[in-house]
Amino acid sequence: MLAARRPVEGDVSPLVGVFFLFDPLILIATWLASHALYAGALWALITILLTVIAGRVFCGWICPLGTLHAAAGRVLRWFWPERVTSQAWSRWQLAKYLLLIGFLVMAVFGTHWVCVFDPLVLLYRTTATALLPAGQWAVETGTTAVFRSDPGLGPIRLTAATEPAYAFLRDRVFVAPKQAFLGGGLIFALFAITLVANRFRPRFWCRYLCPLGALLGLFAWRPWLRRSIRQEDCNACGLCLVPCHGAAATVGPTSDASRRGKPQGWLASECFGCMSCSEACRRDAVGFGWTFAGRGAPAVESIDLSKRAVLGSAVGGLAALGLFHISPQSRGRTYHPQLIRPPGARPEPEFLARCTACGLCMKVCPTGGLHPTLFEAGLEGLWTPHLVPRIGYCDYNCTACGQVCPTEAIVRLDLEQKHKVRIGLAAFDTTRCIPYAYGRDCMVCEEHCPIPDKAIYAVEVEVPDRSGGKKTIKQPHVDPDKCVGCGVCEHVCPYKDRPAIRVASANESRHAENQPILPDDSPY
Amino acid sequence: MNTCSRRAFLVGTAAGLSAAAGGGLLALGAATQDKLADMAIARWKGEGTPAGKELAKVATELTEKAIAGLGGLGRFVSKGSVVWVKPNIGWDRTPETAANCNPDVVATVVRLCFDAGAKKVKVGDNPCDIPTQSYAASGIAAAVRPLGAEVVMLDRSRFRETAIRGERVKTIPMYPEILDCDVVINIAVAKHHRLANATLCMKNFMGVMENRRTFHQDIGTCVADLTRFMKPRIAILDAVRVLMANGPKGGNLADVALKTTVAAGVDLVALDALGAEILGRKPTDVPTIVKGQEMGLGTMDYRKLALKEIAVA
Repeated sequence: MLAARRPVEGDVSPLVGVFFLFDPLILIATWLASHALYAGALWALITILLTVIAGRVFCGWICPLGTLHAAAGRVLRWFWPERVTSQAWSRWQLAKYLLLIGFLVMAVFGTHWVCVFDPLVLLYRTTATALLPAGQWAVETGTTAVFRSDPGLGPIRLTAATEPAYAFLRDRVFVAPKQAFLGGGLIFALFAITLVANRFRPRFWCRYLCPLGALLGLFAWRPWLRRSIRQEDCNACGLCLVPCHGAAATVGPTSDASRRGKPQGWLASECFGCMSCSEACRRDAVGFGWTFAGRGAPAVESIDLSKRAVLGSAVGGLAALGLFHISPQSRGRTYHPQLIRPPGARPEPEFLARCTACGLCMKVCPTGGLHPTLFEAGLEGLWTPHLVPRIGYCDYNCTACGQVCPTEAIVRLDLEQKHKVRIGLAAFDTTRCIPYAYGRDCMVCEEHCPIPDKAIYAVEVEVPDRSGGKKTIKQPHVDPDKCVGCGVCEHVCPYKDRPAIRVASANESRHAENQPILPDDSPY
Repeated sequence: MNTCSRRAFLVGTAAGLSAAAGGGLLALGAATQDKLADMAIARWKGEGTPAGKELAKVATELTEKAIAGLGGLGRFVSKGSVVWVKPNIGWDRTPETAANCNPDVVATVVRLCFDAGAKKVKVGDNPCDIPTQSYAASGIAAAVRPLGAEVVMLDRSRFRETAIRGERVKTIPMYPEILDCDVVINIAVAKHHRLANATLCMKNFMGVMENRRTFHQDIGTCVADLTRFMKPRIAILDAVRVLMANGPKGGNLADVALKTTVAAGVDLVALDALGAEILGRKPTDVPTIVKGQEMGLGTMDYRKLALKEIAVA
């Protein structure tokens, strides 16, 4: 993940987002929503195959979010102890299946919002937009403080250690100085809540909510790897129920000695294959073994989704889909001016049908200009990327976002193509722009405009000064035929609060309807 | 004990002092007669239009000759000193677009610094575009590293607010590592600049500082303030490839003219005046030159200086 940065030469390594390709939820939801497969999508079949054979071992052994939740639960209950109780199957665990069904119904109609809650996406987004920036802040601020105060003992300076370490991180790890993301706090807060929930129910997220877990649960219908209990050795102590991560066992009649219950049935769809139960059994009665008989022993209990519940979720999904489309913007009647998508982004509905809001493009953006949306793209487009030129612009010679997008929501462009893609249009606010408002030269925007023929040009005008005299200054103008909306002008404008030249999404190549300017090479 | 009256003491002292001063002046005169040039211009007068490796050779030779004309770098770089070479690496552009200094010119200066006995040569600028990309695209980092120079990326958080007590600019964040060097060698590329009409040696100093976006509102005074603070002892003007329009960032090869000229000098105003002429402007068109002369930083009438013009073929 730390390697996800643009190298000085060449492309970003294709491996930086490879784990998303193994995610069957992204594959299925994106395929349902966009009717298209992205390069490498079928790697996810490996995960499906693994699950069909061995159950949800992905959740127990592979998923990094699952690992984090398990660790969080352990740590939390260490600080904030809870009496050990048995972790037995609860019908609330069906919630994730019902959510998934609703989400997949939405996907059929073009909205694969479910991916926003995919565990890999969730973890990546949170790490990229909240955790890493926090770490970067600590390093930058800490080493700068040491640099400024320069503490030490005689010739031994602390900076001798901190400065090389900082330089290494700056040059090899950090993507842009002071990288930070809009709305990272909210992303982190929601994530933190799911972590804290582990104190009350171990693996809360994985058991009750995770849509990928639910999907894998459906594939783990009749796995070959199964739990078995040697009944003659089992004394119904219920110890095996205590460490169970997935709450996969149903409980039978309680034995006298224990209030923990006796393990009875086993729901393959809920079992993470962590084998903690087998570890816990003092009589070696619980174990895992291979069986190739679909219905044979050891028995697999069904999660037993009722037809009524499934129908209810489907209807719920449709209702949510309707609610997503009650805003004028979602109907394509307005375009949000701040919704400046990265270059190569597909037209909005198609973009939303592919973008998982994983945050990879935001992470690699070398100017730190791509940020998660909050409301700019509607609820459906929550946390999808948009350019905020005030914070960072779209570098003329960079195509990193399209190189890393795992679902090709941002099309990979070569530099020549990228130079022709317009993502917005700049306009002067002449009530603030210094040559217009205050009669002084400035032209910083023109200086930085990367278009070789300059999308910003200067016109010399005479303006009256305070004493009634005249002076000649240069006033800048935007040439809409040349402007690609990269936003460097807005970024370098001396105004740091509300720049006097601002880019809006108008004229973006991807939407003909959002192009108010009749082009030079007009087809009409 | 040998005593003398107060009068005799005063007279004697005055006589002694004037003799010393006179002697000093004579010595100074002798030094001037030693023909240390104030400025040396090396122009390519060969046949045809050099390109590629040929142009690299020409750029190297022009730089060597211009510096030799000035009396060699030994005049400015003492043995064991630490030198900061400050080229213009403003943009993520390739050498052909002439938006940055010619890498061969910079590499030659670095080599001559080491030849003059410099202990350490650091090369760095504060680019407008992404620094790592600009350093790479300009070809300068790759050209100077093999020579043993240290390529320094200026870190935004390591600038230090510095009092420069100018006419307009009172304090500004400067890069301490640059100010700590024994000598700064300013290498500017002559370019068109929409606002300032030309960006040359004086304006090149905008790469040792931050918070520069307000400078444009009075570019002449701000740049002159900065130049006065930097007290430059030498600068080199690279006019090998010259961006004649759409500067300072350029990007169109059609805007680039081959001028194959390198000048070295001790007077930045004079060098800039030469640069303005190369760009087809009058020195008085360029506010930084006008203001520089007004502040007494040099003269735009460079022909009146001890000038050496060298033809290279």
